[in-house]
Amino acid sequence: MNVTEFRAGLRAWLEDNDLSAGPDHSLDGQVAQLARVRGALYDAGWMRYGWPTEVGGVGGPAVLRAVLGEEVATRDLAEPGIYSMIEVLAPTMISYARPELAAEMVPLLLSGREQWCQGFSEPGSGSDLASLTTRADPRGDGNWVINGQKVWTSLAQYSTRCVLLTRTAPGHGGITAFFVDMNTPGITVRPLRTMHGVDEFAEVYFDDVVVPEDRMLGRPGDGWRVAMDLLPHERSTCFWHRIAYLFTRLDRLLTQSDTATSDDGDLGAAYLALHTARCRSHATQRRLADGAQLGPETSIDKVLLATAEQRLFDTARDLLPGVLELGENEWRTEFLYSRAATIYGGTAEIQRNIIARRLLDLGAE
Amino acid sequence: MTVYDVELTLLEDTLRKTMTTRSGADLDTALTELGWHDMLTEMSDLAVPMVFRLLGETGAHGPFLNDVVLAEAGLPVGGAVRLPYTGGSWVLWDRTDKATAPQYSGTLDSELPLQVVDAGSPVPLAAGRRALGWWLTGTSRAMLSRARTHALGRAQFGRPVAAFQAVRHRLAETLVGIEGAEATLAAATDDLGSLLAKAAAGQAALTTARHCQQVLGGIGFTAEHDLHRHIRRALVLDGLLGSARELTREAGATIRAEGSAPRLVQL
Repeated sequence: MNVTEFRAGLRAWLEDNDLSAGPDHSLDGQVAQLARVRGALYDAGWMRYGWPTEVGGVGGPAVLRAVLGEEVATRDLAEPGIYSMIEVLAPTMISYARPELAAEMVPLLLSGREQWCQGFSEPGSGSDLASLTTRADPRGDGNWVINGQKVWTSLAQYSTRCVLLTRTAPGHGGITAFFVDMNTPGITVRPLRTMHGVDEFAEVYFDDVVVPEDRMLGRPGDGWRVAMDLLPHERSTCFWHRIAYLFTRLDRLLTQSDTATSDDGDLGAAYLALHTARCRSHATQRRLADGAQLGPETSIDKVLLATAEQRLFDTARDLLPGVLELGENEWRTEFLYSRAATIYGGTAEIQRNIIARRLLDLGAE
Repeated sequence: MTVYDVELTLLEDTLRKTMTTRSGADLDTALTELGWHDMLTEMSDLAVPMVFRLLGETGAHGPFLNDVVLAEAGLPVGGAVRLPYTGGSWVLWDRTDKATAPQYSGTLDSELPLQVVDAGSPVPLAAGRRALGWWLTGTSRAMLSRARTHALGRAQFGRPVAAFQAVRHRLAETLVGIEGAEATLAAATDDLGSLLAKAAAGQAALTTARHCQQVLGGIGFTAEHDLHRHIRRALVLDGLLGSARELTREAGATIRAEGSAPRLVQL
């Protein structure tokens, strides 16, 4: 199935099958809605396109997943950030889990029956991810014992499983990934209160958590590669979804802002920034489809997207004076969340470091 | 590489070499001999970006914008046409080499034979805006390359200034602007897309000029370093067929009138 056929079929199906979110905008409501949308799309087959048959997919080009995410975001069917988590979790399992484990687990994620989380950042390891200290030690009986703490773990409180990075030896080559059941004894999840009022992040504590060796992703020491390999997924399909969502917010701003206070220069600048991010992301999708290996050049996509997102919501605040300050509404939540766009997924500073070092070849700092 | 790719690479090498030694009316003659007019009718999607990007990268100039605008208007190429300039002015890009004549001394980039003229007739602008966008990104790359070389070679406090994060981040931001603009240019087909691409390229060139001038420090402010030539060119080309600021405002007015923002590229 090609993109045009897929999109047309999907749109027709979505016309007949109303998956619109209900009135509950709480995080519980968003996660329940996400599960409902994934379940319905999986049962109807749409969620299975672009994924290998070995893990419950029906095959076809990966770009179909970007098209699906765009249609979901355009209709506001699911919160785009948590919808897109699948794009980093499933490919990691496909690349690094034992084939039987991937075949057993990935369909649970695709079909919305389970949520998973990604345990990477730690209190002492943010931008410097490779300094992480959560330990995994072999117990000698085919099990590993994990001790430590993760933070900024999205949806941990809803998750059945976690893709977890641990320290098994010093340095970049001493990081090892595990696929951990969240109901294992010794795991404690504590949601973080955030600035925008949606507690999607959590702290996760590991106290003598026993994980069987067959839950290791790849081999001991492959963890850094696991982390690096998911970046291209995050920066292609996830970004395309997010840009589609941001366009819907620009449209909303156009209909809600008063012509008298609207500034065409500001609106144009917000549009230009979004259009630029979309054109760049489009080129990245093309390269991915042509079999290119994505690398440090996707840091440019990241900077363009984060900049566009913040500019859009700054413009919304300017052109809807008093709206987000004086009333509780989506503009307030989304404006506040946009402040994090230059922090999560690698800060704007880290992206510029990568661009300087890897793309401009400016040597070491 | 296909045979066609090889031919394109050869063409690019030839154009670059020619532009390194020839400019203005002389380059006009040279490009005509290389088949510029045929390129415009047979392969403009490839030739126009290549020619204009190379003008920027090499610092050469020529009256080729006339041909791009005339071709889009369905008129014979080789002449000169009045072109709108930002702020309601109109200019004529002269095909003869009178760049040093006194009547042109008013242009910020005195190498360009631009003449302020009375208002002309409306002409289609999309192809011309795309061409100028490629020129501006080429000029930006020329500036970035100079700033990068300087940052690596210039030592202060015992290390290359390229080692300082403040300098690195300026240059990184410059590359982000240029590559973003190139993405909009590569995707531009219709009027709105071309307008947005020219705006992105103009904005990228202005950002590039600011950052690269700062990174080059004192030497970049002298006439002996050629950065100032590229800065002057960027400033003048930004205003031609609409400045970044003007076009951005126009895009804003367009989407406000439509009540939605067109998604111009599709998977």
